[in-house]
Amino acid sequence: MPKVYNWQIGREMDYRFANGPAKLQFAAVFNTNRCIACQTCTMACKTTWTFSPGQELMWWNNVETKPYGGFPQHWDVNILTLQEKANPGGQTWDVSKKDPAKAPYGSFSGKTIFETADQVNNMVTGYIPPEDDWKAPNIFEDAATKHSPTGVSLPEHAGWFFYLQRICNHCTYPACLAACPRNAVYKREEDGIVLIDQNRCRGYRKCVEACPYKKSMYRPTTRTSEKCVGCYPRVEGTDPLTEGLPMETRCMTACIGKIRLQGLVKVGADGLWIEDRQNPLYYLVNVAKVALPLYPQFGTQPNVYYIPPRWVPRDYLRQMFGPGVDDAIAAYMNPSRETLAVLQLFRATQSIVFSYKVEQGPKTGELNVGGQKRELFNDTVIGYDSRGKEIVRVAVDEPVIERPSQVAMNTI
Amino acid sequence: MNALRTFIQTRRRMLAAGAVFLVVAGFLQFAGANPAQSQTITLTAYPSDADPAAPDSKAWKDALPIAVPLTAQAGTYAAGGGSIPTISARALHHKDQLYVRLEWTDATDDESTARVQDFSDAVAIEFPARAATSVPSICMGQADAGVNIWQWRADSQAGIPEVTTIHPNALVESYPSTEDLFFTARAAGNPVANPAIGAVQNLISRTFGTLSPAATQQVLGKGVYKDGKWSVVFSRPFAGPDVDQASFSSGTKTDIAFAVWNGSEGDRNGRKSVSAFVTLSISAQKLPGTGGGNDAMVLTIALLSLLGITALGVGLAVYGYREGRTS
Repeated sequence: MPKVYNWQIGREMDYRFANGPAKLQFAAVFNTNRCIACQTCTMACKTTWTFSPGQELMWWNNVETKPYGGFPQHWDVNILTLQEKANPGGQTWDVSKKDPAKAPYGSFSGKTIFETADQVNNMVTGYIPPEDDWKAPNIFEDAATKHSPTGVSLPEHAGWFFYLQRICNHCTYPACLAACPRNAVYKREEDGIVLIDQNRCRGYRKCVEACPYKKSMYRPTTRTSEKCVGCYPRVEGTDPLTEGLPMETRCMTACIGKIRLQGLVKVGADGLWIEDRQNPLYYLVNVAKVALPLYPQFGTQPNVYYIPPRWVPRDYLRQMFGPGVDDAIAAYMNPSRETLAVLQLFRATQSIVFSYKVEQGPKTGELNVGGQKRELFNDTVIGYDSRGKEIVRVAVDEPVIERPSQVAMNTI
Repeated sequence: MNALRTFIQTRRRMLAAGAVFLVVAGFLQFAGANPAQSQTITLTAYPSDADPAAPDSKAWKDALPIAVPLTAQAGTYAAGGGSIPTISARALHHKDQLYVRLEWTDATDDESTARVQDFSDAVAIEFPARAATSVPSICMGQADAGVNIWQWRADSQAGIPEVTTIHPNALVESYPSTEDLFFTARAAGNPVANPAIGAVQNLISRTFGTLSPAATQQVLGKGVYKDGKWSVVFSRPFAGPDVDQASFSSGTKTDIAFAVWNGSEGDRNGRKSVSAFVTLSISAQKLPGTGGGNDAMVLTIALLSLLGITALGVGLAVYGYREGRTS
C-alpha cells in the first residue's frame, strides 16, 4: 500500500493510491460563527442538483445543529465509535511534533479510517447509515445542550449549540475513491473535485459505507450512488454569468450570512499546499491558521475548513477540528489587520478570488476584547480573478448611509 | 499352511471388495453420475424439444442437475460472501439457443434495493470470451483472456421502485422534470440504471475493476422465488455477437462458472459465493432416456447391463465366500 503525506495529521499514512501530480484543489472556508442556519445554501443545492425522483432524501449540502443534530443522524459519533473500538484509547494527538507547513496541528498518533481497515473485506472503516438515518435532515435543530436561565458568557457557554455547514469535502485522499472496487470514483486533476462516474457506478455503496462525512448518497431510482459535484461547471467557468471565469458553487454564492468563501488552492505532488501567500484560502488556513479541517483524524485530508464557534467547550471542538482549535479561536477573536480584511472577501463576489491585496486605511477606533486592547483600521481588501484582474474591493468599515427623513411612500 | 490361509483370506477380501465396486459402479452408471470426473464436473446441455425459457418449464424435468460447490470470494478486495454453499445447475439447448437453469436455497427473498441498506439477490454465469486463447482467471478474467458474464438481478427483474410505492405517505409537491436526463446514471448509459435492459446484464471483464457492459444485450433471464429457493433460467443464442462474448455450438465444450449474491447478507461486488470453472458440454445427442422410441431400448439395455453386472458381482462374492469357507 502506497504511503502518502497528510499534513493535517502531520505524518505519512497508508492510502490505496499514490499522490498524483501537482494540481489545483477545490477548497473553502466556512465561518461557523456567522451562520444563522437559514438553509439557503441547502435549498440552492437542492434546487440545482437533487430535485428528481429518487433524490428525495439526498442533501448534498446540509446545515446541522451540533452537538445533537446530524445528517445522516449521528454520522460523526458512529464513525468516532468505530475508530475508538478499532484502536481503544489510542486516538490521540502528539502536539509536541509541530511543523509550520508539514504538521501545523501536531502529529496524530492514532489510526486513520484507512489504517483500521483490513484492506481485504474493506479498504476503509465505515458503515452504511440505514434509510431512517437520512429521513430527518434537520433533526435537533436549535437544540442546546441545556437550558441556561441566567444567560451564558464567553469563553465557553454553559448551554450551547452551533451550526455545522456540510458539503462534500473533496478530500485530498478520498475514502469513497479508495473504497470503490470499480474505480468509478475519481478525483479531477484540474480542480480536485471528486466525482462518481455515473456510467460505471454499479451501486455497491462501498463509497456510502466508506465516506466518513457520509456525503456519498444512494439513489434507488438509478441504483447508483451520487454525490456533491462541487458545481463543477461553475468552477470550470462554463456558466455564462462569469464569461469563462471560475465561479463559486451555488451553496457558497447563495449564503445570506456571508459565512462562506470558496476557491482553488495549489497542491504539490507531495500533498502539501504550495505557498501562495496572497490566495485568501491559503492565508486563512496556512498563515492566519484561523480555519481548521473537519475531523482531520479520519485521515482523508478534507478541503473544507471551519472557523470554529468561539463559545463552544474546547474539548468538543478539539475532537471535531483537531488540536488547532485554541489558536484558531484566538486568531478569530482578536484578528490581525490582514485577517480582518480578508474576512471581508466572504461573499463579496461570485467569481473565485485567486489573490488579494490589502490597502491600509486610517485608524477608526479602539476596542477592548477579553482584556486586550484592539485598534480598528479601515483597511480595504481587493480581490483579483484568475487573470489578475480586480473583481472586488471591500473596506472593513461598512459605510453608514443615512436616509433622508422624507422618503417615498410605500418603501421600507 | 498358515501362509496359504493368509493368501486365501486376502483373496477373499479382494473378491468382496471387487463385488462391492461393481455393484456401486453399475448403480452410478445407471444414475448418470460419473465419479471419475468429480474433480472436473461436467454440465451437459442436451437438446430439448420443449421451450425451456421458464424456470418451471417441463423441459427441465429430465435435465440432469449437477451440484456445484460455492465458496466465499477470498484473497482480494472486496472479499467476502460464502453464505450460499452450493448451487444446482442444469443446461439444455433448444433452437440453437443455450439455456442454463440455476437453483439455490436462500431463506430470504431480496428483490428490493429501494433503501440504501438493501441489496439484491443475484446470480451470474461466467464464460471465457471467444477471444480468450487460454482459460482466463476465474477472478474476473485477465488482460489477454477476458470473460463474458451474464448477471441476473432480482431487483432489476422487479423494476425501478417508485418513492410513492415505498413510502405511501411521502409528500412530494412536484418534480420539475422526470426526463431521463435527470436520472443521471440512466442518461449516462449505465445498464444498472436502465429499466429497458431487463433482469439480465451481459457484461465483459478483463481483471478486477474492469467489468463493463458488453456491446450487445441479448441475454434473457427469468427468476422465480418459491419455497425458499431461487430458480433462474438464462438464455442466449449460440452465436456470440463479438469476440468479447462467449460462443457455443453443438458438440463442443467450454468452461462455465457460477456466482451467487445473497442480498440480505450485504452481498454485492466481490462479496459473493463463487464456484470454480466446470465444463459445459453442449451435446449434439439427446439425453438417453428421454423422448421414448429408441430411448426405451437404451433404457432396457442399461437396466439389463446393470442386472448383469450386479449378478456378476454377487456371483463373485458368493464364490469368494465359499472359497474362504472350504480352505
